[in-house]
Amino acid sequence: MCDICGCAHDVKDTKTISINQSLLKSNEDAASANRKHFDEKGILAINLISSPGSGKTTLLEKTIEALDGGLSLGVLEGDIETDLDAERIRARGVPAVQLTTGGACHLESALIHRGFHALEQQLNGKKLDLLFIENVGNLVCPSFFDLGEHVRVVLISVPEGPDKPLKYPKAIRTSQLLIITKSDLLPHFDFDVEKVRADACALNPSIKVIVTSAKTGGGIEEWVYFLQTNLTTELKRKKP
Amino acid sequence: MHEVSIALGMVDELKRIAKENNAQKINIVTLRIGKLSGIVTDSLKFAFDAVKLEHPIMSSAEIVINEVSLVYQCDECSTTFETGDIYFPACKKCASYNLKMISGEEQDIENVEVEV
Ligand SMILES: Nc1nc2c(ncn2[C@@H]2O[C@H](COP(=O)(O)OP(=O)(O)OP(=O)(O)O)[C@@H](O)[C@H]2O)c(=O)[nH]1
Ligand SMILES: [Mg+2]
Ligand SMILES: [Zn+2]
Repeated sequence: MCDICGCAHDVKDTKTISINQSLLKSNEDAASANRKHFDEKGILAINLISSPGSGKTTLLEKTIEALDGGLSLGVLEGDIETDLDAERIRARGVPAVQLTTGGACHLESALIHRGFHALEQQLNGKKLDLLFIENVGNLVCPSFFDLGEHVRVVLISVPEGPDKPLKYPKAIRTSQLLIITKSDLLPHFDFDVEKVRADACALNPSIKVIVTSAKTGGGIEEWVYFLQTNLTTELKRKKP
Repeated sequence: MHEVSIALGMVDELKRIAKENNAQKINIVTLRIGKLSGIVTDSLKFAFDAVKLEHPIMSSAEIVINEVSLVYQCDECSTTFETGDIYFPACKKCASYNLKMISGEEQDIENVEVEV
């Protein structure tokens, strides 16, 4: 019954609850739990994001070659369908788990948690140094979802064109490293590396930039050095 | 349309909030979205109106969006100013690029009106 006029109209109690939390809090909480777990194990987690075909899996293949067993690696491969990318990694003797999102255009932390436990089964107790997460090919959605990584790396390939940093500012702002891939194709494209570097730095003054080519091997050494430096930082984090 | 991904995340969040507060129904969700969040507010509304239908507890919920402007404070002269320039903002007084962001990246649920 309504208390104002006594009519039979059923008035429900409403209340306003103050929340003031991120829209994506569930994912952020799961991301923090993942990061804590990686920290306890001394694993550096790296989230690779890019448009489809920018060269994420190829970069991982080159990384495996360049490290040549020097560090212990594991890979979580995100794709909408198929486990082709995980096959490419396993073909090089590195444990990999395919995460198929069944339509979703990005990975979320809960899936990383499950994927990591599946990866541990392939490891048989072996300790990991680096955990690579290859996100679903998409330069927009993945930049909204923290996976618990320590380092986010965004790849932009030369054929995609030099306007990408300004068109996808969130990907640049939330990453610590930009890799410009397929530099062997620079002679064939109007792609001003210095302009891209300047745009990226304007959006994110602390971002690092590395220019690589999987064809010529250019920049791979610098990338490996970046990984080793960040792993050292991670191990210091582990032992306070 | 990354707003669909965000709307789906928001649905999970709202279900949790409803459960924690023993709510029967969600009436109004008020969001705070910064100019630099990368979220297009009309698209988010559109996406939420589509995905909410599958969840009876929020199927008639409305969303209200408070847009938060982009505000910086200059490290050189301490001037605080609002800007529409999301790429290359410079201090309105001394033109310095040395700025600290005060607001603009928000992507929060401010409050939720529920029936209990
Ligand atoms: N010329 C040249 N081609 C490259 C280079 N790196 C990758 N490619 C080619 O680009 C194509 C896509 O590479 P992938 O490594 O599969 O790209 P990806 O980012 O993993 O793609 P998705 O997982 O589908 O998003 C392949 O045909 C590669 O051979 C490079 O440095 N130079
Ligand atoms: Mg791939
Ligand atoms: Zn100033």
